[in-house]
Amino acid sequence: MYQYDAIDQQLVDERVAQFRDQTRRYLNDELSEQDFLPLRLQNGLYVQRYAPMLRIAIPYGMLSSDQLRTLADISRRYDRAYGHFSTRQNLQLNWPKLEDVPDILAELAKVQMHAVQTSGNCIRNTTTDQYAGVIADEVVDPRPYCELIRQWSTFHPEFAFLPRKFKIAVNATESADRAATQVHDIGLHIKKNEAGDIGFKVIVGGGLGRTPMVGVTINEFLPREDLLTYLDAIIRVYNQQGRRDNKYKARIKILVKALGIEEFRKRVDAEWVHLRGKESTVPMSEFERLQGFFTEPAYQALENNPASLTSKLAESAGFARWYERNTFEHKKPGYRIVTLTLKKAGQAPGDATSDQMEKAATLADQFSFGELRVSHEQNLVLSDVRQDQLVDVWEAAKEAGFATPTLGLLTDMICCPGGDFCALANAKSIPIAEQIQQTFDNLDYLYDLGNIDLNISGCMNACGHHHVGNIGILGVDKKGQEFYQVSIGGASGHDASIGKILGPSFAQEEISDVIQKLMDVYVSNRTDEERFIDTYRRVGITPFKEAAYAKAN
Amino acid sequence: MPKLIKNGEIVDNLYTWQQDSESAATETSIVPMSKWLAEQNTIGPVAGIWIDAGEGVESLTDIDLTQFAVIGINFPAFVDGRGFSYARLLRERLGYKGEIRALGSFIADQLGYLLRVGFNGFQFGEEVDLEKALALHKSFSIAYQGDVNEPRPMFLRR
Ligand code: HEM
Ligand code: SF4
Repeated sequence: MYQYDAIDQQLVDERVAQFRDQTRRYLNDELSEQDFLPLRLQNGLYVQRYAPMLRIAIPYGMLSSDQLRTLADISRRYDRAYGHFSTRQNLQLNWPKLEDVPDILAELAKVQMHAVQTSGNCIRNTTTDQYAGVIADEVVDPRPYCELIRQWSTFHPEFAFLPRKFKIAVNATESADRAATQVHDIGLHIKKNEAGDIGFKVIVGGGLGRTPMVGVTINEFLPREDLLTYLDAIIRVYNQQGRRDNKYKARIKILVKALGIEEFRKRVDAEWVHLRGKESTVPMSEFERLQGFFTEPAYQALENNPASLTSKLAESAGFARWYERNTFEHKKPGYRIVTLTLKKAGQAPGDATSDQMEKAATLADQFSFGELRVSHEQNLVLSDVRQDQLVDVWEAAKEAGFATPTLGLLTDMICCPGGDFCALANAKSIPIAEQIQQTFDNLDYLYDLGNIDLNISGCMNACGHHHVGNIGILGVDKKGQEFYQVSIGGASGHDASIGKILGPSFAQEEISDVIQKLMDVYVSNRTDEERFIDTYRRVGITPFKEAAYAKAN
Repeated sequence: MPKLIKNGEIVDNLYTWQQDSESAATETSIVPMSKWLAEQNTIGPVAGIWIDAGEGVESLTDIDLTQFAVIGINFPAFVDGRGFSYARLLRERLGYKGEIRALGSFIADQLGYLLRVGFNGFQFGEEVDLEKALALHKSFSIAYQGDVNEPRPMFLRR
């Protein structure tokens, strides 16, 4: 993974010193609440319902075991010994003290980490596929490009006070879009053209929140050397022309929609003419330098399906289940990608205790070259596990509560912190996740239902991606009572779509029952091949709606 | 005399930021860009013009900017970042070499970024202690991106 040199290190160190000074001036009343607010946000610090919340960047999801140990240590010393892995490959601490934050940032800087631009109206942490670099069918490894974007966006002097936040996600494979790129402000799909040159399909104006939208293509093939000048052009147009009068209309999606993609493209091109080919054009040497950090670890020459694996698969149904759901094909024979799920019943989706973080770090050291990834679905990933060590990993993962074999299934939910932590919430979301986990605890049934994305947000800001869940649950406030609106038909992959609302909202205790009814409609309508989303797309919303609102008789 | 920070020093403010379009312009006024554009043939010499957020710099494309000692850019709120692009465009695209002065609600903690996009004059509100602001008058010693002062990104210098 990327290693800081003296330059990168100096920059984060100077940032820590700057924030320490800002915090000191704020606490001494030399800096007003109002002025401090965007400064702390650009360092990941929110003030939430009960305490500040600190969001630590995990750039494009890559984490070394030492970094994870530091996160464990920080959450133990400065928080309540747990953290929340978010859908944006960040880690959130829910209970740090404001005056401790400079020290926390200093600890992070020691292991080449930071909280730079994890919130605020600036370019946020760039995200990508958690399987980057270890799957067979990607065009190229997206991580060097993510690092390029990270450096370009870090302290970009022109774009620190945009109309609204700005999120970029990168995908490098046709077979799946695990980074939900089409619902980002900019989605980049790495492509090779006929001549074999690497470039990007550029998608702009996607986003969730109050006005969910799937992005539109602005450029079919942008040569990779032009990436930064083109991003500069897009964001410069947005910075000047995006709406600033209403924060709910300030995202780039609103500008793109208002102008239409043709006009927006024209304006970007008019800007780009002046930038293209200039100093920010990326030279080959920089691509090579960055690629040099993402070389293959010392893989051994191994065979697929060693006897120790196949025999265990035959004798243990539990192991076979976990293998089928929670591991994924690796590009190298004899290796497998393992997801350590953070979806144990009774634990908020995406939460990990300090102990769990340490255990995951140890597993990474023992079995996966000391590296991990954080996924958009709020899980951890060991990317390079030998197949003949899978049984050991499974045993250890079970013990640490990482082996709930439900990856991709109904109970592998995305869920925002909601009313338990978040000041903006209309309703709690974690108890809904718990209720669903408790109700749908029969693994055979879950397997039979197959892949279903269920996403929960506590308000229309949509941090839990409910719009793009096959089933989406949204907390709403009905005369001071917490209610939940259910939508179906959303998707976040290459077939991205925004879900449709089923109808009037439900009380908290009705949710599992409603989900059950939706499942019944699916099971009785599906063909052998169909996933939930396919059946929905074929039969439409009506049968689901009828079932959900049918009076019990 | 009111003061401002210019080129890293606290100096006398020789010009008047004329915020309305009605008053008569003098050789020491910084007048609204829209006023100057409308009256350019009759207005006579002025110290400079100022651009409001939302106006952009496009209408200056064919104007001889060397006649202005100063071009001001107003920040209606410090989180309104349009002025960052304007300053950069004035320097990089329109080749303006005179003073670019930040006006309005910007704050001292933004100086690092403001300097990098081409501002060199900072007219703070009266309540601001300029000595303290001066302590923040610097960027980080390193930058990844190119900017007005150093157009080459770090990857060309690494
Ligand atoms: C608890 C504190 C949090 C607060 C105050 C907060 C605030 C917000 C707000 C205001 C928006 C809407 C932005 C807009 O529409 O322009 C938003 C969107 C979002 N947040 Fe959060 N959030 C929080 C936690 C989280 C967490 C824990 C995650 C990850 C699990 C997350 C991920 C996202 C995502 C993915 C979006 C949607 C992006 C889009 O609109 O395109 N947030 N957040
Ligand atoms: S969706 Fe709403 S409730 Fe949930 S974290 Fe975001 S802002 Fe808070």
